[in-house]
Amino acid sequence: MILVRGFLAQLNVVQALILRETRTRFGAHQLGYLWAIFEAAIMIVTFYVLFKMANRTAPDGMELITFLTTGMLPYQLFSSTVNRVSQSIDGNKALLFYPQVNPLDLTIARTVLEAATYALVFIIIIACVALLEQRVPAVDEVVLVIMGFGLAALLGAVLGQVFCAISVLSKLGERLRRPLLRPLFWCSGLFYTANSLPSEAREVLLYNPVLHVIEIVRAGWFLSYEAVHARVGYVGMWILLLGLLGLLLERVVRRRIEVT
Amino acid sequence: MIELRDIYKTYATSSGPNCVLDGVNVTFPDRTSVGILGRNGSGKSTLLRIIGGAELPDSGDVIRRGRVSWPIGFAGGFNGSLTGEENCRFVARIYGQDIDYVVAETMEFADIGNYFTMPVRTYSSGMRARLAFGLSMAIDFDFYLVDEVTAVGDKPFQEKCRAAFAERQQRSSVIIVSHHIKTIRQYCDRCALLVDGQLHMYDDVEAADEEYQHRMAA
Repeated sequence: MILVRGFLAQLNVVQALILRETRTRFGAHQLGYLWAIFEAAIMIVTFYVLFKMANRTAPDGMELITFLTTGMLPYQLFSSTVNRVSQSIDGNKALLFYPQVNPLDLTIARTVLEAATYALVFIIIIACVALLEQRVPAVDEVVLVIMGFGLAALLGAVLGQVFCAISVLSKLGERLRRPLLRPLFWCSGLFYTANSLPSEAREVLLYNPVLHVIEIVRAGWFLSYEAVHARVGYVGMWILLLGLLGLLLERVVRRRIEVT
Repeated sequence: MIELRDIYKTYATSSGPNCVLDGVNVTFPDRTSVGILGRNGSGKSTLLRIIGGAELPDSGDVIRRGRVSWPIGFAGGFNGSLTGEENCRFVARIYGQDIDYVVAETMEFADIGNYFTMPVRTYSSGMRARLAFGLSMAIDFDFYLVDEVTAVGDKPFQEKCRAAFAERQQRSSVIIVSHHIKTIRQYCDRCALLVDGQLHMYDDVEAADEEYQHRMAA
């Protein structure tokens, strides 16, 4: 009974945090949401033009713009969640004044908001493409697409949690985060698929769980694509290990968070 | 009732560890307002944050029976980029209160005019404290934790705070930290001294003051 009541109270807190994060993330105007769409659209269009100029096509018979979209958005969801979660304590110190708000609630709230945002952006961009091309997109396995987005958010959340805990102890975490994440942009299959890689390169790149995530999304989206190299269990293992590490670090640093 | 058992808290500073609370044992009974007297930097605000649960002690237990407020004061608790009203809505939500009621009550009590719908970062420290005070008054707590806030605002506002607390004395109590005996005299039935990381409780405010003066002089 107490557990249920505690859970409901926590749910209340997370819900309040999400509402408030929406305000601080997107600003006072509803148009703030458009910005998230715009940001993703610019990236996709840029690489679309680059691909066209270089006379390259999407691999494995995929359609170029959806190929880029299915790579870019799970990746952005992942990296944006890492960035938002790793700064969750820093950006919300004033809130930790309230005893019912704890750092993990901030992580959950920010992750849910990022996942919802990028899922929506994905739907909107796909809808725009469908409208432009005047055809209904054929999706192979919706469940796989949803799972891919879910894994991207979780992976971002647990990695962000690790950085967030480190940031309580030292500035080093914040300094390392971006240089560490930067290479992932090029190593996660945004511009290629695992199947289309030479086997030596593939073997190395498959250590990167984000590549698996994008493979899963694409396997779900494209009828023609079979992600033979992607392993859900491998991504799950990363989430589990980073999650444990993040929670462990949270235990270590929770007494050292200085509330101001 | 709030009970503190063997509370220790040390902060790491550049000149080595600084032990702020060195084994605090105290019980705050219901409906009894207590002042905590101590110099600047004696650990009063830390103690208040630990009582409220905003910070965790290094060791020891805090047992709370009843609803305890967050530490009400100049600092903390508000997001600067949100308006006063939005901050109120957030707090009402996490305390499971009726949002419209809390917003209306706070607006009336804080009495900061148009600033209520402006970002909190544009507030003066006095206005922040007024908002914090109004907001806490809109929620029924058994214990109000107050951090030096009473010196805030003009005479009428101070009067208003005193009246609000007097009206509540039947069901709630105030734990107030201050380095002014005057403030504590106005609000509290008992007084505790925080000296060298230890808390000494006195049943009588004047006795505590006498001891405090004595120690200050020494």
